[in-house]
Amino acid sequence: MLQPVELANFFTVFFSAALVILCGALYALLFAWSRVSRRPWLMPWAYAAYAGLAASVIVLGRAANLFDGGLWTIVIALMLVGYLLAPHGVWHLCVGTHAQGDGKDPLSQPR
Amino acid sequence: MASLGVLDSANLNGGQKLAVKYFTVAIALFGAQVLFGLLAGLQYLYPDFLYGVLDFSVNRMLHINALVVWLLFGFIGAVYWLLEDESGVPVVGLALGNLVFWVLTLAVVVVVGIYLLVQVGPGEMKSIWLINEGREYIEAPRWADIGIVVCMLAFFYNVAATFMKGRFTGIGGVLVLDLVALAGLYTAGMWYTPNISMDQHWWWWVIHLWVEATWEVLVGCLLAYGLIKTMGVRRKIVETWLYIEVALLFGSGILGLGHHYFWIGTPEYWLAIGGFFSALEPIPLVAMVVHAVFDAGHHKLKSTNNPALAWMIAQAFGNFFGAGVWGFMHTLPQINLYTHGTQWTASHGHLAFFGAYATIVIAFVYLAVQKWRGNVWMSGELVGAWRWKWAIFLLHVGMIGMTMALLIAGYEQSQIERAIEGSGWMGYFAAQAHPWFQQGMTWRMISGWVFAAGFLLLAWDLLTIGSRESRPARRLEPQEAMAVS
Repeated sequence: MLQPVELANFFTVFFSAALVILCGALYALLFAWSRVSRRPWLMPWAYAAYAGLAASVIVLGRAANLFDGGLWTIVIALMLVGYLLAPHGVWHLCVGTHAQGDGKDPLSQPR
Repeated sequence: MASLGVLDSANLNGGQKLAVKYFTVAIALFGAQVLFGLLAGLQYLYPDFLYGVLDFSVNRMLHINALVVWLLFGFIGAVYWLLEDESGVPVVGLALGNLVFWVLTLAVVVVVGIYLLVQVGPGEMKSIWLINEGREYIEAPRWADIGIVVCMLAFFYNVAATFMKGRFTGIGGVLVLDLVALAGLYTAGMWYTPNISMDQHWWWWVIHLWVEATWEVLVGCLLAYGLIKTMGVRRKIVETWLYIEVALLFGSGILGLGHHYFWIGTPEYWLAIGGFFSALEPIPLVAMVVHAVFDAGHHKLKSTNNPALAWMIAQAFGNFFGAGVWGFMHTLPQINLYTHGTQWTASHGHLAFFGAYATIVIAFVYLAVQKWRGNVWMSGELVGAWRWKWAIFLLHVGMIGMTMALLIAGYEQSQIERAIEGSGWMGYFAAQAHPWFQQGMTWRMISGWVFAAGFLLLAWDLLTIGSRESRPARRLEPQEAMAVS
């Protein structure tokens, strides 16, 4: 069920795991910034950050032997889907909650 | 209202007067934590230093216990600080609250005194009851354990009864439910069983569920109140977000407990549960990034208290990096097998505790000082602002330095002690003697001194900030002020 990381892959695991979270945050940041400041040109950069996240997840999966077992492959899929959809969902929640407080708020208009 | 800039308790309501007592002890214990940390750091470099007088094991215990207790005092103080504001009525049972404060403070002094005076002894029931329970991080003897639970229940009574008498806001509701868990979960660390796996199983309920569930939710409540007060964010918005974040934190954090069950002899399914939910745990932090950007665009970061807001922003970053990035780097069991219990864990612990918890308590102490001095100006162009800016800078440089130094030492340990030498006794010493480890300890010590300098500056600033100001606090824009009323 569990195949430990090879010694040679230690750094790859640490580095790619850190990149998963950092790229996830960068994707969320650029996604939200693009919408809140109405700068659509930032959105491709947001998805580029997501592509970085996806690449990091794949590298992490290979280095940490996550593709070897069914359950761990689900964790990979969960990370890819979860991080892709989370900023979208949270953005809608932001718009929804702010719209409740102030209907005139220009940021409250769904895009 | 007394003159602006002068510390006067007439500026505070009953709950806030009690809160500043808690904050005072919290900052003193923060200083004790830094002091014992410096001594423990020196003992890594000079193992004979204070040997037989104040052993490393005692220093380390005091360093960590002081952290837990100062944060607890800070949290309790922060709750009393907002209690009358939120509920709209004076604190119910304030005399009991004051009594509990003195009992708790006295108990902390007695426990620390016992730790220092009785450093070694037999492992028998009398020791567990009177001297040291022996469970890492919650070493307080059994009498103190029971006392802590009684004090938490009295604190819960103060908070719940006050909200029940006054109004139950969203923040108040979440807070009351959270305090039930805070007091209840602590009892999980008090059961004794001769089976070490079962013992550790319950012990983690306190360590993990306090930290990654009840404390995180408590911090969510405090941040919600802090954002309303400093930025005028609408109550409806912050409370909705509080519910969402509580759901996300509980959804991932409770079963994220599994990442502590990997190697203590629990069934194998915990590997899957721990790995799965640990992968989810950073999602609330990513959600916070989106929300923070949205709010920054919405409110242009205008604030009534710049130091408090700066520390709240530091909380968002510190929580993200300390808990999110540093946690996820070694949370999957495939790699955690090698890092668990090394300096890697210490690196994660240092950044996460400072980032997620110390920062918010410091933010509340700044809120308290502002009102204690007659709601004095603490926005832009504050007289003597260099002190709080340098304090936050030095504390962060020191903390990041310690985190990176421990990370390098932990990386070396995970390779040499765990992977190459197979976690044996000789492997332990081989790793300790390695130049990377020793240089890591040196740089941790240097960073520790920087952190200590930041703490001294912070203490000086908290004692003096606003004393030379004669301007009243910045008023929020009318639309923003509506949120506060």
